[in-house]
Amino acid sequence: MNATPTFGRLGDHAVDRRRFLGLIATGAAVVGIPGLLTACSTSPTPSATNPAAAAGDVIPKYIPVTYIDPDYPSVNGSVPGYESIPAELVQSVKDAPGTGVVYTAMTPLWGTIPPTKGNKYYEAVNDLLGSEIQFQITDGNVYGDKLATVLASAKDVPDWVSIPTWNLPPRFGSEIVENVFQDLTPFLAGDKVTPYPNLANISSDAWKFCVFNGRLYGLPFPGEVITDAIFYRRDILDGLGITPDVTSGQDLLDLAKELTGGSVWGAEDLWNTAAIIHAVPPKWKLDGDALVHRVETEEYRAALAWNAELFASGAVHPDAVADLSGEAKTRFQSGKSLIANDGVGGWHEAMRDNLASNPEYWQQPFDPFAADGGTPVLWKGNPANIFSFLKKTDDEDKIKELLAMANVLAAPYGTTEYDTINNGVEGVHYTRGADGLPVPTDLAATELQPTYIFLVDPPLSETHVQYPGYVKAASEWKAKAAEYTTDPLFYAQQIVEPQQYASIGQPFVDLEKDISRGRKSLDDLDAAVEEWRASGGDELRAFYQDILDQQS
Amino acid sequence: MSGQTTEISAATAVLPEPRRRPRRSKHRPAWEGRPSVGGQALKVVVLTAVVLAVVFPLYTVILTSLSTQAETIRVGGLVTVPGELTFNAYTQILGGGTVTRAALVSTFITLVGTVLSTTVSVMGAYGLSRPGSFAHRPILFVFLITMFFGAGLIPTYLLVSSLGLINSYWALILPGAVSAFNVLILRNFFMGIDVSILDAARIDGAGDWRILGRIVLPMSRAVIAVVALFYGVGYWNAFFNAILYINDNAKWPLQLVLRSYVLQGVTLPGSGVGQVDVATGAVTGLPIKMAVMVLAIVPILIVYPFVQRHFTKGVIFGAIKG
Amino acid sequence: MSLSELVRRRPPVTPGEAPPPAPAPTRTIGWRVRLKRDRSLLIMVTPAILLLGVFAYVPMLGNVIAWQSYSPYTGFLHSPYVGWVNFERVFTNPLFVNAVENTLIITAFQLVFFFPIPILLALLLNSVVTPGIRTTIQSIVYLPHFFSWVLVVTVFQQIFGGAGLINQTLRDHGLGSGFDMMTNPDTFLVLITMQSVWKDAGWGIIIFLAALSTVSPELYEASAVDGAGRWRRMWHISLPALRPVIILLLILRLGDALTVGFEQLILQRNAVGAGVSEVIDTYVYFQGVVYGDWSFAAAAGLVKGVVSLALVLGANKLAHVFGESGVYKRA
Repeated sequence: MNATPTFGRLGDHAVDRRRFLGLIATGAAVVGIPGLLTACSTSPTPSATNPAAAAGDVIPKYIPVTYIDPDYPSVNGSVPGYESIPAELVQSVKDAPGTGVVYTAMTPLWGTIPPTKGNKYYEAVNDLLGSEIQFQITDGNVYGDKLATVLASAKDVPDWVSIPTWNLPPRFGSEIVENVFQDLTPFLAGDKVTPYPNLANISSDAWKFCVFNGRLYGLPFPGEVITDAIFYRRDILDGLGITPDVTSGQDLLDLAKELTGGSVWGAEDLWNTAAIIHAVPPKWKLDGDALVHRVETEEYRAALAWNAELFASGAVHPDAVADLSGEAKTRFQSGKSLIANDGVGGWHEAMRDNLASNPEYWQQPFDPFAADGGTPVLWKGNPANIFSFLKKTDDEDKIKELLAMANVLAAPYGTTEYDTINNGVEGVHYTRGADGLPVPTDLAATELQPTYIFLVDPPLSETHVQYPGYVKAASEWKAKAAEYTTDPLFYAQQIVEPQQYASIGQPFVDLEKDISRGRKSLDDLDAAVEEWRASGGDELRAFYQDILDQQS
Repeated sequence: MSGQTTEISAATAVLPEPRRRPRRSKHRPAWEGRPSVGGQALKVVVLTAVVLAVVFPLYTVILTSLSTQAETIRVGGLVTVPGELTFNAYTQILGGGTVTRAALVSTFITLVGTVLSTTVSVMGAYGLSRPGSFAHRPILFVFLITMFFGAGLIPTYLLVSSLGLINSYWALILPGAVSAFNVLILRNFFMGIDVSILDAARIDGAGDWRILGRIVLPMSRAVIAVVALFYGVGYWNAFFNAILYINDNAKWPLQLVLRSYVLQGVTLPGSGVGQVDVATGAVTGLPIKMAVMVLAIVPILIVYPFVQRHFTKGVIFGAIKG
Repeated sequence: MSLSELVRRRPPVTPGEAPPPAPAPTRTIGWRVRLKRDRSLLIMVTPAILLLGVFAYVPMLGNVIAWQSYSPYTGFLHSPYVGWVNFERVFTNPLFVNAVENTLIITAFQLVFFFPIPILLALLLNSVVTPGIRTTIQSIVYLPHFFSWVLVVTVFQQIFGGAGLINQTLRDHGLGSGFDMMTNPDTFLVLITMQSVWKDAGWGIIIFLAALSTVSPELYEASAVDGAGRWRRMWHISLPALRPVIILLLILRLGDALTVGFEQLILQRNAVGAGVSEVIDTYVYFQGVVYGDWSFAAAAGLVKGVVSLALVLGANKLAHVFGESGVYKRA
C-alpha cells in the first residue's frame, strides 16, 4: 500500500499490499489448499448467523436418485465408489430448461484461464442449460479480495455468485446475505424441491449448511465427510521390508524415527495427524454441561506435545521444519520423506502425477487409530465447502430458471450432464480409450475448465478407475474411516461470531508451529489460553452457550 | 579543495581528445593509471562471485522448466543436473492461444501506461524542480503524502466502478499512473543540472517548455530511461488490479494468465475431487512454475539493453554539444 | 562550494562566457509575479496532480473507516462511528510491541548492511573498463529481482537448509549435520539480509548507474592529469555525483522504516517463529486483513503513515542541517 523505495514496486504502489496477499497465496496455498479446509477449524471463517431457528423446515426434502449402482456403496456417509465407466449414460434432465438468455456468474478457478469465445466446452454445457452462463473467472487464491469489493458495490454483483466457505466475508450472514442474495426458501423448502430432482439428491447436511438466519440462501458444493488422511509410501516401505502396524501415536513416532536416515526423513510436519489421532475438536466440545474450546482441551495439548516429540526426534524433513509446505508433496512423492498428511483428494492426484514414471508408486493411508491405541474419533468435515448464491430479484421466473439450470449442473455420476460438465464433448475434448476411459485431447487442456462445478455440485463419487486398484482401496478405506465419524458440536450450522472475537484465535496458529518446533513450551500454551479467555474467549463461550441453550 | 576542482572542470572543456597509446588495455584511457594487481584480483573475485551467485540459480530455474515433472519428483525439487529434457511446459503454456493474446494486452497496457506515466512524471518533476517556484513546497507535499497514506481496496474499487472503468484497460493504467517516488527521483536529477545553463537559455528567451524539451530532456536521458523502466516493469508485472477490475477474461493481462498456470491442478479443499483431473491431462508442478518464471523475465531481457545504453559515460555530453 | 554543487556545476562554462546572472532572490518577489512567472511550471504539474487527486486522494477518504465499525455492505456513509477504538486495538495488543521492535531492528540492520551494497556494486561496475564485461555483468545481476520470493526462499533452502547442499555435503563426509540457517531465529536477520541483497542489490544499482552516467569522463581525466589516484577520483568525483540521489533514497528509506519485506517475512515466519519475524505489516495482516477487519487495517495504516511522514520530514530537516537539499529544499 505504501510506496516502497525498493526499486521493484514502482508505478503500482497503490496495490502493493494486495499484491502481497496474492503472492502469499501462490506460495503458501497453491499446493497447500487442501490444508485450508482442515485449518478451517482455526482459520477465519466467522460465518453466518444465529442458527437458532431449526433448519429442518427450510431445507429441501432429501429424495435420493441413483442412475447407476455403485460398486462400493456409501457407508455412514462415505463417498460411494465406481469400478467402471458406465457404458450407457442417462440424460437426467430431458429438455434444456433455459430460455435462451445470458446470465453472469462469478467463480474462482484454480487452473488456467479458458478462452471464453468459441469455447466448445462452454457451448456444450450451455446447450444442456438452455441459457448461457457467462463466467467472470477469478484466480482462486485471491478470490476473497474480489468478493469483498464486488459485494461492497451492489450494482456489480452478477446473477450467480460462488463463495467458498473460507472466503465468506465478515458479517456476511448478518448484513450481506439477505440484502444482496435471494432467499431460496420459498422455492426449495420441503416438497417444493421436487421439480429439481438432482437438487433433492443432495444430502440434508449440505443444505443445512446453506441456511443463514433461519432461511435457505445457498446452493452447496458437497464436501467429504472425512477430509484428511495420514499417508505413507507403501511402495518404499515394502522395498525396505517394513509392513507398518501403527495402532497408536507411539507406534507412529517409532516408525517415523526408524525410517529416518541418510538423506531420507520419516515424516513431514504431522500437525494435522496429531490433531486427528488425538481427536482435537474443530471448535467446541461439551465437557459435561460446559463448553470447552478447542485450545482449552486436553486433546489439543496432547496433540501439541506429540507433534513436538516428533520434531524433537529429528524425524521431520528439514524443509518441513522450515515450513516450506508448498513442496511437501514433492518431497513425499520423491521419497525424501515417507509419512505425510494430506487431503484425501491428494491420493488420486499423486497417482496421476507418479504412475506414469513410477508404476510401482503407491501411497496408502493408515487405518484410523487413536493416539492412545483406543477407539479413534474422526470429526466430520464441513458438509459443504463452497456455496453459490443468486442475486436478489423480484423476478420469480428468473430464480426458477436459474434453479432449473442448477438442477442440470447437479446431475450425478452416470448422467450425460455429469459427463459433459466433467469431461467435455466426446470426440472434441476426449476420446474413449480402453474400458471406456475418457482420454483427453489437446483441446481439453485449453478449453476444459469446469467452472460450473463451483455453482452447484452433485454428491461426491469416487470414480478414478484409471489407477489400478485405487477405487477399491480408496472406497474401502473411506468406509472403514466412516465408522468412526462423529458430528462435532454445532455441526452443519452457520454461526456468525461477533466481529471483535475474529482474531483472538490467531496466536494459536503461531503457537502450533512454535511448540511443534520446540521454540515454545506447553507453559506458553497455558499463558496463551489465559490471554485468550481474557481477550474475549469467555464471552465467546457465553455466546455459543446461548445458542446451545436455545437449541435444547 | 573544491575550488581547485572547479578549475579542473573548467579546464576540461578545452582539453583535446586523449590520445591512445599502444600496449595498454584498449578500453582504458591513457590518463588512467594501471591498477594494482591485488586490487584487480579482488575486483575479479568479487564480480565473479556476484555473477555466479546469480547465474547458478538462474540455470537451475531454466533447467527445471525444461525438465519433466517426473524428473522434478525424482530429485525432489529444483533440477541441477540435466536429465530428461522437454519443452512440454512451454508448449503447454504457449500452445493455447490465451497467452499470446494476453501478451498483446500486456504490451498495449505497458506501452500506453509507460508513455503516459513517464510523460506526466517528467513534466511534474520539472515543474517542481526550480528552487523557489510558486507553491512548490505544498505541491511536493501533495506528492509525498501519497507515498505514505494508501487507500483501501474497497474505496478504490468503488471509485473505479463509479467512473465506469470496470472492464476497461484504463482501470489498469490510471490508478497507479503517477508514482511520487519516481517523480522525486526525476526531480532530484533535474535539480542536478547546472543552473547557469538553464538561466542562460532563459535569458535567450526560451520558455520552460522549450527548456524542458531542448535542454533538460537530452541531459537526463539516463534517469528518464530508468524511470520509464520502473514504470514499465510495474505495468508489466501488475496483476492485482486486473483481478479486481477486469471481469472479461479475454481482457486479462499476461501475468494473470501466467499465474493461472501455476494454480493448475490444485485439489479443492475437502472435496476429494481434483477439479481438473482426467479430463485435461494438463502438465502441472514445478516445471510449469519455473517456465512461468522464465517467461516473465524474457521481456525484461529484451528491453533492458535499450535502457542500459543510456548508462554509457559521456552520452550526455555529446547530447549537449550536438 | 560543496561537493554536490561541484557536480551540479558541470558541464563547465566555456571560459570567457559571461557568468550567469545570480537567480533573483525569490523572497522579495510578490506571489502574483511568481504565479505569473511560474505559470508553465504549474501547468506541467497539473496532470500529475489531477491523477493523484482522483486516484489517490479520493479513495484515501475511505480511511474514515478507521473511526468506524465498518462493514462493506453498510458502506462508509452509514457505518457507525466508534471513536478511537480501532486505534486502541492497534496499540494495546502485546504482539504489536514485538512487531514494532522487530521492524525497527530489521530496518536498522538493513540500512547498514543492505543499503550501501548497490552503491558499492555500482562503483565497482563503473570501474570496470572493458565495456563488454561491464554490460554483461550489468545485464545479469539485476535478474534475481524478477524471481518471486517463493523461489528465492526455495533456492536458499536448497543451499543452506537442513537438507540442503551444504549440510548434505557435510553429512556425506561425516562432518555432522552442520547448521540449519533457515530455521535458526538467531541468524534470521543475517539470512533475510542475504536474501534481500541477492534479490535486489543488482536491481538497485541501476539508479546509481544512471547518476554516474551524468559525470563527464573528462572530469575524471582532468583529475587524473592533476595527479589524483583512482581512490581519490572515486571519492571526489564518483561519490559526489551519487550523493544527492543517495541522500534522497536514504530519506525515503527512513520514511519506509516501518515497512520491511512483508512477503519475504511471511514466507519464513513459521520457520523461525513470529518472535523474530513478526513485523508491523504482518501483524496488521494477521490481526486485520485476514479477518476482513477493514477498520483495524485502516487505523494501522494511518498510524504507520503518520509515523512515516514524520520520519521523512525529520530526515529531511536533518539533511538540511548537513547542507543537503534532501527531498525538498528550503526555499
